[in-house]
Amino acid sequence: MRILIVEDDLEAAEAMDRGLTEAGYACVRAADGEEGLAAARDGEFDVMIVDRMMPRMDGVTLITTLRREGDQTPVLFLSALGEVGDRVAGLQAGGDDYLVKPYAFAELIARVEALARRRETGSVQTLLRVGDLEMDLIARTVHRQGKEIDLQPREFQLLEFMMRHAGQSVTRTMLLEKVWEYHFDPQTNVIDVHISRLRSKIDKGFDRPMLQTVRGAGYRLDA
Amino acid sequence: MRLPRIFRTTPFRLTLLFLALFASAAFAFLAYIYVATAGEAARRTDQEITREMRSLVQAYDRAGIAAVNQATIERAASERPFLYLLMDHAGETISGSIEESPVEEFDGQPTWTTFQITEEDEQGRLVRNPARGLQQRLRGGEILFVGADVGEDEAYVLKIINALWGAGALVVMLGLAGGVLVSRNVSRSMAGLTEVVDAVRNGDLGARARVRGARDEFDELAQGINEMLDRLERSMAGHKHSGDAIAHDLRSPLTRLRARLEVAYLDVEAGKGDPQEALAQALTDTDGVLKTFGAVLSIARLQAAGTAPDPVLFDPADLAADIAELYEPLCEDKGIDFAAEFTRDLQVRGNREFLAQALANILDNAIKYTPSGGAIMLRVRRRSSGEVEFSVTDTGPGVPEADRERVVQRFVRLENSRNEPGAGLGLSLVTAVAEAHQGRLELNEGPGKVGEMGPGLRVALILPRA
Repeated sequence: MRILIVEDDLEAAEAMDRGLTEAGYACVRAADGEEGLAAARDGEFDVMIVDRMMPRMDGVTLITTLRREGDQTPVLFLSALGEVGDRVAGLQAGGDDYLVKPYAFAELIARVEALARRRETGSVQTLLRVGDLEMDLIARTVHRQGKEIDLQPREFQLLEFMMRHAGQSVTRTMLLEKVWEYHFDPQTNVIDVHISRLRSKIDKGFDRPMLQTVRGAGYRLDA
Repeated sequence: MRLPRIFRTTPFRLTLLFLALFASAAFAFLAYIYVATAGEAARRTDQEITREMRSLVQAYDRAGIAAVNQATIERAASERPFLYLLMDHAGETISGSIEESPVEEFDGQPTWTTFQITEEDEQGRLVRNPARGLQQRLRGGEILFVGADVGEDEAYVLKIINALWGAGALVVMLGLAGGVLVSRNVSRSMAGLTEVVDAVRNGDLGARARVRGARDEFDELAQGINEMLDRLERSMAGHKHSGDAIAHDLRSPLTRLRARLEVAYLDVEAGKGDPQEALAQALTDTDGVLKTFGAVLSIARLQAAGTAPDPVLFDPADLAADIAELYEPLCEDKGIDFAAEFTRDLQVRGNREFLAQALANILDNAIKYTPSGGAIMLRVRRRSSGEVEFSVTDTGPGVPEADRERVVQRFVRLENSRNEPGAGLGLSLVTAVAEAHQGRLELNEGPGKVGEMGPGLRVALILPRA
């Protein structure tokens, strides 16, 4: 998987490069928007990580330009601006996700991973399957080893998100953003309680737990 | 050359402007009076002269030159105000009250003339008065002149004009004096305000303008300035306090973080111990600092903006239900009985995200301080005033009445909660959110003491009706 990092803070870019390379990605770096535009036109990337505020050409202009040229590479915006308005502006410009600085590295990796894999599932699915766990999106039912599991609506959404990102780490913040659609940081980890409820429903009574806790990052659903 | 200060004041300039306007109007008025009065007087004199002339001509037509001669002699001696001169066809005087005709060129047609006569006034002095006269030839060839002194009429007009000039001068002087007085008064009032502005500019935020109690626009301005300064001072004090508090709240964890890293570094250098735990702890500390920083930033932005960004109209029960759903498992986990009660179909206008965070913070606090076995109630209702109230009631230890005001301020944590996690910004952020929505936060005692529990706390976030 190839990643383009467009970031004018060279030290931050270096750290990202190292971390992502270690996680198995191949990275290309650009130090400003114009350089980023040239790099993006030149090569094929699976994900672009773009800082919003950069000299010469800012991130929003860069992505707007690329989108106009038909480039559909998933984009993760990085920004020190975290207000709802800034977020909306970033997403409207064609960004696919938005991460506010400073961030935990696990958060960045999890989001890049989510974006990189997103492309692979192009068609509309009505049935999700992870190992022996099955989710019918039309009937809104969940079965494990043929046994029906009764879920509350929010638990269903939570499990759907985990299943769509099976095998990937998802962070608490991602869950709060994508399942509950809140962008603030709760003082206590309310997400943990919801996960443990879900876990007790899908793992209890089965020989092998699927919903794993990833230390320092979040959770992962394994087949 | 610089004019004395008083002449540069706005009221004085306005006075001058009005005086100039008034003086022009008065001058136009005088001119009109003069023209009207003088013209009228001349016309009347001319009419009288004509009438006198006609009566003498009639006497001539009736009884001849002797009768006219008789009449002129008699009339000249009488109290009548006319001058007479009867001349023969060559212009030689026959009789009359003046020695020669003032008409210099006479072609036989009736001729008007304006001339001067020398008379004695009441004090016996000789004065020259203007006069008018009419001369015409009688049918027998003799010449008759009738004139009249118009000096008295003119003097009357002059008197009026002089009086008006005097009155005008008086008005101008009074106006100037009034202008000076008004300017002094206004200048004094302005000086008070200018002094305050100067003091504030020089850094004294405590300076206040004097409100004289006259309830005029100066008092209004002074009051406005004072209120503005009050608010500014409060906000500055708030900034200073929060500056100190940020320094304190960020410095302590940063100091801890630094110490931890230093110890880990020394340990690794000495070849003993595993730095992993120290690093993990350092990361946790950093997250804590970042969280505090984020909250401070949010509060500062809300306070600076004064209003919540991107407001939308929504049903508060939906929002409360969402947040209840998020927090209910947390209560259950801790063995707290959670109940919710929502009045449906209300409307509030606001930033959903900020309000959600505010509610989450209130619930976070309630769960943090309510012991296992306690209860929490989340309620949305409409107050009789029409305002919408979100309230969270818990059965925790509550907050003593004396401290309630303080806990909603930035960074304040009560002594007994010093060791609980959280940056102490929870309720401050809620207050900032409430104020950005033109609402407020109210803290009251909860349901009271029950056994070991209580008295509890009731936190109400009150928003104006949409």
